Amino acid sequence: MALIVSFKKFLDETGNIARFTGRFFSVGMKPRYENRELLNQCYNIGYLSFPLVALTAFIMGLVLTMQLRPSLVDYGVESQLPVMVGLAIVREIGPVITALIFAGKIGSSIGAELGSMKVTEQIDAMTVSGIKPYKYLVATRVMATTLMLPLLTILGDGISLFGSYLGVNIRSVTSIDLFFLQVFKSLEFSDVLPSIIKTLFFGFAVGIVGCYKGFNSSKGTQGVGISANSAVVLSSVLIFIIDLLAVQITELLGLN
Amino acid sequence: MGTTEVESVIVIKDLVKGFGDKIILDGFNLTVKKGSNVVVLGKSGSGKSVLIKCIIGLLQPDSGSINVFKENIPGMNEDELDKARSKIGFLFQSNALYDSMTIRENLEFPLLRHWVDIKKEEVNRLVKEALENVDLLHTLDMMPSELSGGMLKRVALARTMILRPEVILYDEPTTGLDPVTAREIEKLILKLQKKNHTSSIIISHDMNCVKNTADLVVLLLEGKCYIEGTYEELEQSSDQNIKQFFE
Amino acid sequence: MKNQEVNNIKLGAFVLSGLILMIVAFFMIGKNNNIFGNDFKLKVRFSNLNGLTEGNNVLFSGLQAGTVKEIQLINDSTIEVIMQINSKVKTFINKNSVASVGTEGLMGNKVINISPVKGISKKVVEGDVLKAKNIANMDEIIEKLSQTNNNVASISEVLKGTVMRIDSSAILKLINDETIGINLKASLQNIYKATNNANIMTVGLNKIIDDIRKGKGSAGVLLTDTIMASKLKDAAIQIKSAGTNANLMALEMNTIVKKINYDLNKGNGPVNTLLKDSLMAKNIKQTVDNLQRGTDGFNQNMEALKHNFFFRGYFRGLERQKKKEQAKLLEAAQKN
Repeated sequence: MALIVSFKKFLDETGNIARFTGRFFSVGMKPRYENRELLNQCYNIGYLSFPLVALTAFIMGLVLTMQLRPSLVDYGVESQLPVMVGLAIVREIGPVITALIFAGKIGSSIGAELGSMKVTEQIDAMTVSGIKPYKYLVATRVMATTLMLPLLTILGDGISLFGSYLGVNIRSVTSIDLFFLQVFKSLEFSDVLPSIIKTLFFGFAVGIVGCYKGFNSSKGTQGVGISANSAVVLSSVLIFIIDLLAVQITELLGLN
Repeated sequence: MGTTEVESVIVIKDLVKGFGDKIILDGFNLTVKKGSNVVVLGKSGSGKSVLIKCIIGLLQPDSGSINVFKENIPGMNEDELDKARSKIGFLFQSNALYDSMTIRENLEFPLLRHWVDIKKEEVNRLVKEALENVDLLHTLDMMPSELSGGMLKRVALARTMILRPEVILYDEPTTGLDPVTAREIEKLILKLQKKNHTSSIIISHDMNCVKNTADLVVLLLEGKCYIEGTYEELEQSSDQNIKQFFE
Repeated sequence: MKNQEVNNIKLGAFVLSGLILMIVAFFMIGKNNNIFGNDFKLKVRFSNLNGLTEGNNVLFSGLQAGTVKEIQLINDSTIEVIMQINSKVKTFINKNSVASVGTEGLMGNKVINISPVKGISKKVVEGDVLKAKNIANMDEIIEKLSQTNNNVASISEVLKGTVMRIDSSAILKLINDETIGINLKASLQNIYKATNNANIMTVGLNKIIDDIRKGKGSAGVLLTDTIMASKLKDAAIQIKSAGTNANLMALEMNTIVKKINYDLNKGNGPVNTLLKDSLMAKNIKQTVDNLQRGTDGFNQNMEALKHNFFFRGYFRGLERQKKKEQAKLLEAAQKN
């Protein structure tokens, strides 16, 4: 019985999120656009996340390189290290790690911010003041996460590759020219494009989930905490699900 | 009590609103005359907040009608609601000032939204005037987090007033404030009301507030209008349900 | 308001840097793929692509020259590959160049190698079809390697037997010696001459006897002349001694041959050192040993290759096939 109830709850939640997402395309896409708020959110969400993303990306590139080296040395293909790391970073590690860090930072902050706005009636106040909160708060944030995550991923990939370059140079010597030449030689558009396109969806998911959880926060400070937390959890899970879908779709399209 | 010649600003008929199986408002009726202050009295959870949120269109009632300036709020679409809302002020219990904005931006925000073509100088003038009315001009470029509870309430009041609404809905304006500050807020409400000739519905269970502001008191009990009368009339009532508020 | 402006500038810098990085990355990748390059196409037809796919590299004498743009099946045994060639390289490719499908490294991606051929030829133009050279793929190489291995094993087996036989055979040594042959031949010639002379002498003798019987000429004189008769007797004795000499000579020949034979077995004389030199025999044996070890090492390499995980599948397949064949043979044997 409890299983049925929780399953119903799950379906209900899914339906609500779907409707919430639908409103982004119906309400959020209509003029007039909140351009100033969008820029503001892009600054908050994109620019201010950059140091965190840069740090994690750098460490990831470095560590991945150092971890992969021994097994490549075993097979005698140490010279393929840049190719291997480059492909891993650009195709999978870069987008997913960046998105997860992004979900942790932005998903929770959106969830908490909108949650506390909901609890302190600021969202109602906006409605009363003739502002559509969905448009002003949700659409701008979702738009900002959708646009900023790919940028962060690209920058993160670059920094990650630089970290990997340093990682290669710990044990052996390679020039930065040769390293990037090798990396780019192995890359194709079919590696880069799907991974950038999927980050658009990652960003969209993080934004939508954060806003949904915040918007439907229950009363009290505990409610805000729960919505911030569940925003991170749900968006992280969604990132992996989207990643799974993305790899299958690229496979289907023959881009893999 | 107003006379019959005075036009009615808000007319609520048979309002029903429930959440799930629980019915909060069950056939509520209320008429607010122009220029009068109506206080809705009731216990916590009796549905007072639900009532005024239905009036401003934040909640959709299950049935019944709410006519504000002869227009039915529940039947409106978003755009019409926006238009109607520009004539209705709403003072939130938690003030609902935007944390991320300065006091100036908080006050500008509704102005820029409702009056799209307004000029910059006009905005500045109106913001300053509204803050002067509540004696808080010096807080213009401060953030809400830097102000005390009483100051926040006054800023919220200024923000509610800035659009010159004809009807103002107060959601527990004195709750959570010390008695001295509460009296100041009451005085401000009355002062601004006189200045702008507004009508209002005040929700409260603070009897001092009721006594000082009410032209008419309505007791909300079990989702219905239990009784309405002046403060003095209710104070002398022997009904147990009424007497418990005055003890 | 001023803060907002500063923020916008920061945001602008952030977005621009991201976009520039993306464009640079796309440009770098595009350079690989010749997407921004000239559209110069060459064709080549293969019967087997060995897994070549679109996007693989085209190398001209080992230099990156372009990519495989399109692959089309023309009929059941012909596949046409359209290559996009870098405009810088195209001016160096001759019409008689040969294209083949190769591999980058041992396990790498497939590539098309265009190699120049000696001789004068015109430069290629758009849409030219190059000559194809089908090169064995890895599987075939391994199969050949396995065959070669078997061959080497059987050859070395035969070689071993031969060498052993050479080692033990005396007749072979005799046959192989030249000086003995020459001596023998000279002796035989001498014998032949001697008998020839003897023959001529007997013919002359016969005639004299005939004349004597007829009793005419000098023979008659001879018969009557006792001096003559005694001389004749001497001649007959001489003839007899010549025959005896011839007989002795033959006997001597026999002893010589016997002696040679004895020498061979005893181990004296130059012929024998040549044939019976133990050092040489050792050398030959070592050579054979080396050969054996070499084939053993080769066998071991093949074994290691078998266990290498890259080829495991292939060799398991072989083994399975072998087992199957054995099982078939067994079955056939049982039936019989």
